[in-house]
Amino acid sequence: MDDVGGLRADQVRRRLGDTLALDGVSLAVEPGQVHALVGLNGAGKTTLLRVLLGMLSVDSGSVTLGGVALSGVEPAAWAGVGHTLETAFAYPELDVRQNLEIAARLRLVGSDRIDGMVEWSLSAFELGAYAGVAARRLSQGNRQRVGLAAALQHAPGTVVLDEPSNALDPAGVLLLRETLLRRRDDGAAILVSSHHLDEVARIADRITLMNRGRVIGSLDPDTLDLERSFFSAVHADDEARR
Amino acid sequence: MKCLGVAFAVEARKAAASQVFRTITWLLLAGLGVLSGSLVLAVQAGNEQVAGQLGPLGALDGWPLLIGAVMQIAAAGGLLAFGVAVSWIVAREFADGTITGLFALPIRRSTIAVAKLAVFLVWAVMVALGLTVTTGLLGVLLGYGLPTYESGFALLRLFVLSVFTALSAAPAGWAATRGRGILPGIAATIVILVIAQVGVLSGLGGWALFGAPALWAMTPGAVTPVQLLPTLLASAAFAGATAVAWNRLQLDR
Repeated sequence: MDDVGGLRADQVRRRLGDTLALDGVSLAVEPGQVHALVGLNGAGKTTLLRVLLGMLSVDSGSVTLGGVALSGVEPAAWAGVGHTLETAFAYPELDVRQNLEIAARLRLVGSDRIDGMVEWSLSAFELGAYAGVAARRLSQGNRQRVGLAAALQHAPGTVVLDEPSNALDPAGVLLLRETLLRRRDDGAAILVSSHHLDEVARIADRITLMNRGRVIGSLDPDTLDLERSFFSAVHADDEARR
Repeated sequence: MKCLGVAFAVEARKAAASQVFRTITWLLLAGLGVLSGSLVLAVQAGNEQVAGQLGPLGALDGWPLLIGAVMQIAAAGGLLAFGVAVSWIVAREFADGTITGLFALPIRRSTIAVAKLAVFLVWAVMVALGLTVTTGLLGVLLGYGLPTYESGFALLRLFVLSVFTALSAAPAGWAATRGRGILPGIAATIVILVIAQVGVLSGLGGWALFGAPALWAMTPGAVTPVQLLPTLLASAAFAGATAVAWNRLQLDR
């Protein structure tokens, strides 16, 4: 595999307590692609995302960002990454606008660009009506929108989203889909973990399937019955490990 | 430096909007004012029980009694308040789940940790100033007249003691990081309090770690400035350890 950019995991192993959470996982998130990661609860998806984002070290194997091992990545390189994982990045005491400004500042966006960026976010995620509302007063879905806007507003070249459509209403799912496809068309490398196979089929260029800490194959997004193929692959892997 | 400036601005904004910092500020200023004012009035009214509780202070009057009472309360109560504040500013990211958003950024997590501690320190200095001014106003209101040179120096020592008390809470920030929550920070604050009390009671005097600043503030002749160094160094060491812990942070729990 060529290291042309994006994120890459090679033969990653990571133990969490007594569990081998990742067992020789390899995965490449290439520029200009939406790469979906699917699997049952406990398959290791979130652990893999944590490893890719430097939140967890690996026991063995390697992770690279733009071809550089994470241990050697200059901090500035992370300015081109956008992510959201588990909880939306929104401080309860700050309003939506302030939260988006903070997210931009933490990515070292110049002061002269922040206002325009936040306005784009408020419009793209239809948060304008809540701009002055404290995040603690938002519905879970709108908090999720704030988290997604914070991850995507600086037009990152690499995007990592964990269950991004969680708590979103159908309108929010549509906005997310449009934004992700636009980022992909601009050449971004996008990794999305999801339980929603229908949604994955709509946006993914590649689908990687995880089960019990291992990558067990890939699915064709154009497969007619994605759900059946998914469960067949998981069941076959479970049987093979007995 | 740019990264530290950005991180400081972000943390300052969060702290300015936080109910926790506002509440602690008012509790410290109003609470200490009311408590020390009540004690002083009780002693002046001849309440022997309160005078007895205050020890040698109970035999004093005027500015020395007021400032001494504030110092006694600030040294213990202030430490608890500062311990809660530093634990919260560090551990809120774990409690609110925002810690994942502080990874994969162009600003190092150690820089963010330093910014958090710097914001805490700036706030603590402002609180110390507020406490000193409040005590001064209280003395004037109680009819002691304007502070003399001696009571002015005592007020200055109260300010320094308050800042030292805030610095003494630094280990709580480290504990809150290691324990990923506010409670370990509060537990560490209680340990600091015990270390200070035991040090003083066991006769270490000016060498009592975390206890020396209060001793110096109340009886300046009994403690040399050098004896304040261990407390200062321990606080600096724990601040450094907090930054290192943030740098090595792993979301493995």
